[in-house]
Amino acid sequence: CGTGKYLKVNSQVHTLGCDYCAPLVEIARRRGCEVMVCDNLNLPFRDQGFDAIISIGVIHHFSTKQRRIRAIKEMARVLVPGGQLMIYVWAMEQKNRHFEKQDVLVPWNKALCSQPLSESSQPGRKKQCGHPERSHPYHPPCSACRCPVCFKGRWDSRRPHSVDCDSALAGTCCANISKEGEEENGFYNTLGKSFRSWFSSRSLDESTLRKQIEKMRPLKNTESWANSTISTQPSRHSSFDLDHPEPFSTGEQNLDEEVFVETSQKHLEWLRAPATHKHLNGDHPRGVRRNGDGNFLGSTNTKENCMDAGNLEEGTPSASKIWRRISAADSKDSNPGDTISVEEQQSDILDSGAFMRYYHVFREGELYGLLKESVSELHILSSGNDHGNWCIIAEKKESCD
Amino acid sequence: MKLLTHNLLSSHVRGVGPRGFPLRLQATEVRISPVEFNPDFVARMIPKLHLVEVPKEPIQGYEHDERFLRQMHHVLLEVDVLEGTLQCPESGRLFPISRGIPNMLLSDEETET
Repeated sequence: CGTGKYLKVNSQVHTLGCDYCAPLVEIARRRGCEVMVCDNLNLPFRDQGFDAIISIGVIHHFSTKQRRIRAIKEMARVLVPGGQLMIYVWAMEQKNRHFEKQDVLVPWNKALCSQPLSESSQPGRKKQCGHPERSHPYHPPCSACRCPVCFKGRWDSRRPHSVDCDSALAGTCCANISKEGEEENGFYNTLGKSFRSWFSSRSLDESTLRKQIEKMRPLKNTESWANSTISTQPSRHSSFDLDHPEPFSTGEQNLDEEVFVETSQKHLEWLRAPATHKHLNGDHPRGVRRNGDGNFLGSTNTKENCMDAGNLEEGTPSASKIWRRISAADSKDSNPGDTISVEEQQSDILDSGAFMRYYHVFREGELYGLLKESVSELHILSSGNDHGNWCIIAEKKESCD
Repeated sequence: MKLLTHNLLSSHVRGVGPRGFPLRLQATEVRISPVEFNPDFVARMIPKLHLVEVPKEPIQGYEHDERFLRQMHHVLLEVDVLEGTLQCPESGRLFPISRGIPNMLLSDEETET
């Protein structure tokens, strides 16, 4: 359930929110939701207790097919016969974003949501989460001008704090954001989100991911981190199209964006760094792996690089140092044993508290196939694509005894 | 944690199965929070409850007994356990409730999988 954004969308149903993460659940609780901390893989419920279940942007975080199946089977178990389950997962196929592989790490920068709960620049609006009200939901870079500071979309009209939220807020492009960005923090907020949108993560297949995680586990300080690397490639835009917000339309992606509240000045400078851009495109940062990764901003990505827009003027050359690499791209070509020494300041990104979140992005038909072949207790009612998510609605079959 | 929620919970400690229900509730702090009374909702929820001891002859016409429905409403929805524990009746394993939130996470060794 995360912070509970979907728990109150329908006043006609009694909901129970569940999440593995206690701090998120605390936030949902503060918003007045009935919630608990538990594990999707071992739901602490008796069989057949629920009429309906939604799983929005959850199972794509499970790192193996077996775990994903287990999560779905657990939800099916606790459904009454005839009860329905709706699942949303990130699609690999995205309009404005390119996933190299299905198993990816996406950065989540804690520094970008540093505001404590008590601060709010807009009294009167209920808090969504542990962030000030001036934190806006994610706005993708505007596709018109490719400017990362100019965003499509507006305040998320699905915000549960106002169920009948103004749908007129769903707007487009720069004009809206400049209004939002009038306050200084609004501008930084959107930049922060753009910053995050830069990263379409380097893909990792499951076995190399496992190896990499094993390797990283003992690393505690930034000096150690300097020896391993994360590769990220900027995405052209976010994958979100907020022109027509719909319930659940961005699924869990919305949650990602919510936490990207503000960017620090450091990151701000980094974004305004055409010098950096050149560096990244032109040179390989020291020790870049050769086999297939090449220049991770490589030619296929140059046009996707937001900086290409040339909207960013002055800058610091520090961005290249923020790029780090995970030495595992392709299990055939990659040598997971390679570590690359990074330039000194590459620890910047870690200083700011960057975390990575694992996603298994789904191909078309994959979610459908998964239910069909592995969860026979569910009958599929409908499936489709919704704003970069594959979604499915299934019904618990009547028992056959 | 509402008592309606409690009725859904079951211990998933490995090997326990259906004997994990119901969890023994010990409440050290309880709050009564008013919730709007919806008789239809309460009436529909009652048959969904998993009652360990079911009366041989269920009360006829409970759906129209407002006093009964109000009592059930109060018990199921308005009693909020803020602090306490839930105990697996089979294994004795304790799950904490803090700030109204039950934490049902088990360690890897304890779980079914």
